[in-house]
Amino acid sequence: MRERKVTLLGPEGTNLSIFFLFLVFNFISWFTLFVLTEDIELNFNNILIRQIVFSLISIVVFFLITYISIENIRTYTDSFFVIITILLAVLLGTSPKAGVRRWFDLGPIDFQPSEFAKVITVLFIANYLTKRKSKYPLFLFLGLVLFLILLQPDLGTSIIIGFVIFAIIFVSDIKIRYLVLIILLFFTLFFIFLESGLINENQLNRINDFFSTDEDFQQSQSKLLISSGSIFGQYFESNRLEKVFVPVETTDFIFAAYAYNFGFIGVVFILIMWLLFFLRLSQILNVSNSDFDKYVITGFVTLLAFQIIVNISTITGLLPLTGSPFPLLSLGGSSMVSTAIIFGITNRIFIENNLVI
Amino acid sequence: MFLRNRYNYLALFFIFYFLFIIINFFSLQILNINDSIEKIDQQTYDIFYLSAPRGEIYDTNSEKLATSSLEPHLFINLRKINDDNIVQYKQYLKYNFQDLKNNELEEIFNSKDALYLIRNINNLDYLERQSLLELEAFEIFDYPIRQYNYGNIASHIIGYIGRPTLEEFEAYPDSRRNGLVGKSGVEKYYEEQLSGIAGEIVFKGNEIIDFVTPQAGEDLYLTIDIRTQRIVTESLLEGIKLANENFDSENIIQKGSIVVLDIDSGEVLSMVSLPDFDPNKFVKGISSFDFNQLNRIDAFNNFAIQGLYPPGSVFKIVAYWLAENEGLFPEGISARDNSFKCEGKLSFSFNDGSQQVYNDWKQDGHGNVDLSSAIQQSCNVYFWDIALKIWRTYEGSSSESILQEYARNLGFGKITEIDLPYEKAGVVPDRELFEEWTITRPELVRPEGWLGGDLMNLIVGQGAITTTPIQVANAYKTLLTGYSSSPYFDKNKENIQKVKNYNISDDFIEFLLNDLNLVTNINGTAYYAFEVLGSKANDIGGKTGTAQNPGDKNSTSWFAGVDSISNPRYIIVTVVDEGGSGSAVAAPISRRVIQHLIGVDLTPVKFGEITE
Repeated sequence: MRERKVTLLGPEGTNLSIFFLFLVFNFISWFTLFVLTEDIELNFNNILIRQIVFSLISIVVFFLITYISIENIRTYTDSFFVIITILLAVLLGTSPKAGVRRWFDLGPIDFQPSEFAKVITVLFIANYLTKRKSKYPLFLFLGLVLFLILLQPDLGTSIIIGFVIFAIIFVSDIKIRYLVLIILLFFTLFFIFLESGLINENQLNRINDFFSTDEDFQQSQSKLLISSGSIFGQYFESNRLEKVFVPVETTDFIFAAYAYNFGFIGVVFILIMWLLFFLRLSQILNVSNSDFDKYVITGFVTLLAFQIIVNISTITGLLPLTGSPFPLLSLGGSSMVSTAIIFGITNRIFIENNLVI
Repeated sequence: MFLRNRYNYLALFFIFYFLFIIINFFSLQILNINDSIEKIDQQTYDIFYLSAPRGEIYDTNSEKLATSSLEPHLFINLRKINDDNIVQYKQYLKYNFQDLKNNELEEIFNSKDALYLIRNINNLDYLERQSLLELEAFEIFDYPIRQYNYGNIASHIIGYIGRPTLEEFEAYPDSRRNGLVGKSGVEKYYEEQLSGIAGEIVFKGNEIIDFVTPQAGEDLYLTIDIRTQRIVTESLLEGIKLANENFDSENIIQKGSIVVLDIDSGEVLSMVSLPDFDPNKFVKGISSFDFNQLNRIDAFNNFAIQGLYPPGSVFKIVAYWLAENEGLFPEGISARDNSFKCEGKLSFSFNDGSQQVYNDWKQDGHGNVDLSSAIQQSCNVYFWDIALKIWRTYEGSSSESILQEYARNLGFGKITEIDLPYEKAGVVPDRELFEEWTITRPELVRPEGWLGGDLMNLIVGQGAITTTPIQVANAYKTLLTGYSSSPYFDKNKENIQKVKNYNISDDFIEFLLNDLNLVTNINGTAYYAFEVLGSKANDIGGKTGTAQNPGDKNSTSWFAGVDSISNPRYIIVTVVDEGGSGSAVAAPISRRVIQHLIGVDLTPVKFGEITE
């Protein structure tokens, strides 16, 4: 293969760079929040200003991460995993906010370790699978992280990490029957967990509601909101936004507000952009000789795609309410920065493999 | 080993799910659009709003001054009350809440609201609460209770809360939903920060179908120190009591205020206004009897920012600054250390030949007086002479109001923009104002308009001039630092804008500090008030003031001081309304406050020497 000159934006000749897509998703989120913000004041409490500040920070993070070699990242992966596990454990000792222990309160911002646990878990499994033969101790570590997040309680994040773990193990050479066994074990433990009452009442109610025939009120409202967006969106006629009761329309329900404002066209556009991004990532699998790269890409694609799927399924009533953000769209610093790390590592993998897209 | 074909299955799953999502949105947004719009337009949910806990208020040492605790309250869902069960509910409430009066009960069941708050049930145990919930119209929600931990102390700074009026609905949109709004103090000034976002209880018909928890307001950290605030309050109370005992005034003395400003930052360390009130009384709704009683004695006025008083001799530092800066001294002398002989009165003649005599407070005169001793002994003649010189030199020209310009430069005649509501500006009178008043308020001015005598009154802080204690404190701060800025309570304002005043030199600041120091030492008007401090008084400075009031109102007692000459940290301004001589009442009160500030043992407020 011909050696190409490399910049932080990717190897020479790169057109649709990872960075370009990262910017596109950031701009979409700015524009969505711009539409949702009534009056824009220049202070950190304003959601649009907040998101722009987080965006700029995450762009810096993107380039910082791109600068670090995959070899270095692999060296420190185990340490990161230990640190994040400790942070998750410490978090359980803090005083709960609105009934859950999900954030460290750092003055003007809240730090949510489980967002970073998602990324670190992917790196940890990928590193583990390429280095060691026996896969079974791995489940012990992963089980611990899942358990700590479940205790917060944060059902949404646990399910997403659980699925990511499943996906990476699935593409490794594990025998399918063992995989099935592990999944069965997992579900058994999960239901024991449910029965033992460690999941908070609120979430239990939501799960119960979901299996009952009554439609959840918030979900039915968000469906109405999405539906009234029509083909081209209701950007110029937002009076219906006030008539529906969609609660956290800048975080978990932001995609409902997006669909309302930009319509079916907008929905198709953003989904196609993401699919395009996943397709680009998958090309690594044809080029790279490193299994680590492949596991990481599998993990990241699964993580992002599954978050989108869970988020959209939730707001359209296909899944019970669990509270999971839409990557790079929902307001939230931790989620934004952890997604920037994903994009940064991916960019680095492209550079090291000299892959032009 | 990585298995590519398994990845393809995974990818296929995602692609199909994304396609499925797109189909789902197609059906929602294109096929069902009309249905949905119709549904939304016909939606008749209504919402009951539940107050959010207000942000908590802390002092500079993170001591909690105002807290919000969520306590369970019993609500009744009136939509579930009908002719069949109303009697049952009434009896149930009567039996279980015996303090509930009949008219309250009527009010509950006649209300047009969907939900009605009945009682705080924090003292009921779990089983009792559960038994309440067995009746289907009863609901239990957490409702915030505001508590002020220090009662009357700092009540004017913190303020109080109450039901919003129509104007407040407009000004603070959140207050409509919270049902509460800050009425005064920082509770009002920082309403938007403190209020939080009300929770929502969504009704469909008579059923509650959704509940969005309220979001607490942001906390507020204040610059005041509650310990100092308590000592300052005590000192003022003590001084007022003494003044009542020592004076045979016809009126009872009960109003006064003290401001303690951090000299570098402009932080307010303490601000007291008496009489005060207990803001806790407003939380459960104050009785109109209590309210009227407090209102009659003006307990809700914060005199530190709203009390308008002639400043008397504390205002002399304006002329002091002017004399020093413009080289404008009494007739015949040309420098600060040149002296002239004060004989206790000033007589002068006007163009029309009439003769006028002004008598100093000290009949025998102050003897040989220079600028320093004029401040030390509060010699009026010296300053009248300066006024006369201004008048004779500039009458009718644009420089005629040079004294007023100096005063405005120090912030007199306009609000300081402190972060409290309802601050008053006061007036600095001049020819234009008097001309305006001859039309709008003729009862206040003579038909001749602005005369030399008015300027002579003004220079010693008498006549039409009015100031607030915070203005005086801030003016002293400006003169002693060379920078002007607004005083503030919110810790977050640390980097407030400071404007350099180029007419205040370091030399001037040193002179002023030294001369203020003379006041609290031998021969100074405040000597007796500070005597108890012994050698410590050598490092303290201030200025007394006794401002005469029209009618049979006793004089206003003033003291403006600084806690240290060598290392000034705080400005202290004390005012006692109708307190009489500044050196007898305001100075010893300030002395006790300064004792606390410099960390020496407190001694009781002692009635001082009557001067001026």
